[in-house]
Amino acid sequence: MKKEQQKKIIEALLFLSEEPVKTDKIAVVLSTSPEEAEAMVEELQDDLSSSGRGLQVFETAGGYRMGTLPELAPYLEKAFSEDISSNLSNAALEALAIIAYNQPVTRIEIESIRGVRSNHVIENLIKRKLIKISGRKDGPGRPILYGTTADFLRYFGLKDLEDLPQLELLDLDQDGVSTQQQTDNNPVDI
Amino acid sequence: MVQQAEYTIKLPTFEGPFDLLFHLIKKAEVDIWSISIADITEQYLAYLQSMKELNLDIASEFLVMAATLLRLKSKLLLPRSPRAENLEEEEELFEINSAEELFQRLEEYRAFKEIAGLLRQKEEEQKKVFLRSTGGQKVMVFSQQESVYTIWEGAHHLSDIMTRFDKIARAREYVPAFSAVEDFVVARKADYIQSLLQQSKRAMPMKTFVTESGLWELIIVFIALLEMSRQRKINLLQEKPFGPILVSLKS
Repeated sequence: MKKEQQKKIIEALLFLSEEPVKTDKIAVVLSTSPEEAEAMVEELQDDLSSSGRGLQVFETAGGYRMGTLPELAPYLEKAFSEDISSNLSNAALEALAIIAYNQPVTRIEIESIRGVRSNHVIENLIKRKLIKISGRKDGPGRPILYGTTADFLRYFGLKDLEDLPQLELLDLDQDGVSTQQQTDNNPVDI
Repeated sequence: MVQQAEYTIKLPTFEGPFDLLFHLIKKAEVDIWSISIADITEQYLAYLQSMKELNLDIASEFLVMAATLLRLKSKLLLPRSPRAENLEEEEELFEINSAEELFQRLEEYRAFKEIAGLLRQKEEEQKKVFLRSTGGQKVMVFSQQESVYTIWEGAHHLSDIMTRFDKIARAREYVPAFSAVEDFVVARKADYIQSLLQQSKRAMPMKTFVTESGLWELIIVFIALLEMSRQRKINLLQEKPFGPILVSLKS
């Protein structure tokens, strides 16, 4: 298949998709390798930006999406005024930051860093699907562990968790924050 | 007639005591590691005082921090007694026993607050990108497909165990016996289960532990297994829905 044809297909695919499209999926559609597919997406990205279009293809939550250019927002807002959700509160962002870097993490660990009770904040983040319950910690009371969701990545336009900014801690041992994985499900010898 | 002064004072709001302390440190234009406990305590208390004068609710966390600061301050004035330190018990939220610890916690908070600020920027940027598939609504239109809750497998086990016991009880048409379940009986059953598991050194199906017949026995086994599971002595494993539940010792 010709390059031009491949790029057209990717463009159409991303235009129609309501979810980020993974490279693997694009590769299947094009009957090509994931590496080839990724190279084609990158070419499409360049094409869009060099030909002065209002659209862009960007990487988020482990896949690609098509969206408008940020600088067009003031104009588009005139046509699409409905704003379905408000910005997150400062408290919510604090809690999210802590969860993102320490997941899986318990409520107590989050509260210990923030210095305030955080149950309402956590509830709201779950309602907004930015975090989820990712298990239970081995230990007294088996406290719930929280982690971030794919929607978290989408909301902030992050490719993956590695895409988060570097956490700059000065001379600090993280004794308050145990990120011990749950090792409860050892296979049982039968 | 008493004249009431009508004016409004705007106090910045803080997410918590660390946030307030951090603000005070920034105002003093010093870095976290070089603040004086005495100064910061004074400023912190002054802020709480002004909140009180304005009849604002002061969250308990702020008061706990005030007490923590005062204790740190008094510690600095008193000669050290190593014995007394071990005796102190702390509110869980603030296990802060030295100025260094306080600084470290503040530093940790500062780092995450910074990240929160960066996330805010990303949020703003992302809101400017419109997506076709959502009819002009913005990026935070979330997928309907992803489920939020992953069910804790422990809860799953519990209901399975209960269903299975109910089934066994029904199948054998047990006559309900109404004796009180005594602790030592359960403990004895637990010991028995443990010794069986230790001998076999492998997972055993739950029904192995029911030696006599009778609802009474079944209840005891049930409670014993729950108790052992709670004490994290055993693993409960079910390989497929409605399959046999296997019990094994936790290594």
